[in-house]
Amino acid sequence: MEKEKVEDSKIMESENSLQSDGNVKQVVDFALEAGRILLKNGGEIFRVEETITRICQHFGVEHVDIFTLSHGIFVSAENEKGDAYTKVKHIPLSGAHLGIVAEVNELSRQIAEGKVELPKARERLAKIDRIPASNSGLQILGAGIAAACYGFLMGSNLTESVVAFCIGCIVQVWVLLAKKGRLSKIIVNIAGGMLIMSFALLARMFATMSPLRLDGIIIGGIMPLIPGLAFTNAIRDIADSDFLSGTVRMMDALMVFVYIAVGVGIVLITFNNMTGGFIL
Amino acid sequence: MTVQEIISHMLCSFVGTVGFAVIYSVPKKYYFACGITGMAGWLTFLFVSSRPYMSASVASFFGAFVVVLIARILTVYMKCPITVFLIPGILPLVPGAGVYYTAYYIVTNQLTQASLKGIESLKIAFAIVMGIVIVVSIPREVFHVIFWERKRRKNDGKD
Repeated sequence: MEKEKVEDSKIMESENSLQSDGNVKQVVDFALEAGRILLKNGGEIFRVEETITRICQHFGVEHVDIFTLSHGIFVSAENEKGDAYTKVKHIPLSGAHLGIVAEVNELSRQIAEGKVELPKARERLAKIDRIPASNSGLQILGAGIAAACYGFLMGSNLTESVVAFCIGCIVQVWVLLAKKGRLSKIIVNIAGGMLIMSFALLARMFATMSPLRLDGIIIGGIMPLIPGLAFTNAIRDIADSDFLSGTVRMMDALMVFVYIAVGVGIVLITFNNMTGGFIL
Repeated sequence: MTVQEIISHMLCSFVGTVGFAVIYSVPKKYYFACGITGMAGWLTFLFVSSRPYMSASVASFFGAFVVVLIARILTVYMKCPITVFLIPGILPLVPGAGVYYTAYYIVTNQLTQASLKGIESLKIAFAIVMGIVIVVSIPREVFHVIFWERKRRKNDGKD
């Protein structure tokens, strides 16, 4: 810590005399911010490291070492005189916005081609960070459609798919509300599982025409909750031999499944106790 | 399998993948490409798993292979990160249902079923990893060569 401070103050001292020292700091800060935005919105470890290296090298910071985890980035850079500048950033595991990933990638590509200067790039990065997610109405519709379609692909019939559509919409509304209220992941997923099962049972009670199978409805209904991004990124990180980050993300994804199952189980057991009959 | 079934599966995998693309805030111009990726992967999975002696994990391997291949080609064409196509496209293959059932059986204390489903999901996950690894280890230039050749041909055709 002290050593770092000393080196930091050294950098501060020589900032006036030599432009390049300040430059190292600015470039690393900018690159780290780009990396943070990528990692937060669902970029892989490999992409984060590549982007940071690319930006640093283009702006003339040759010696740079990066260590990236699924929830943190460590960057250490050196100038020609051997003064080091190190920064650590903690990034909590959070949501997905692939549009932002695409935009940051485009920006880093343009930087590497030399089309964008540092101040302009910083401005653009700040703007990219504020890109809103898809329209919430569209998201709710999308979740419903995804639920219905995946329910159908997993072997449910048309009526069950329609039920899955309604449940998917309801669950996505809950997810969006929870995101606004900053609820913990555990509560969101347990309550989500309870919602799915309650509505599935309700639909089953009202559907007197044909008996509904709960399997397809539930598999479809959990689709909006499923941590598909975390799961796929975990698999990709393991494929890139980033085992540590891959394991952390896999754990994150598996826990979500456990929470959903707990929610579903609570409702099912309560229902069975109330009616005395066994279902599923 | 009847034609009607195949068409409904095509439609559902396409629309479902687009639905996921919406949830993950993929830019609108990529929706169609995402849908195509998901559809191709699911059709491959369906085709392989309907053959005799083919398990779900082998089918997932081929499905993942096709998804990543198409995603990489699209990446070169549309100049955007592979994540945009890969994540919505591979979701139909990811053993979400299997993992959910594992957790569910553990919660309801049906441990034999849980281990059956759990190991099957693990196998599928590893098959997907293999599919991704094989395609990712193809060097980047190969896709660029295909891209440049096509572009040259297109230009020749225009002239």
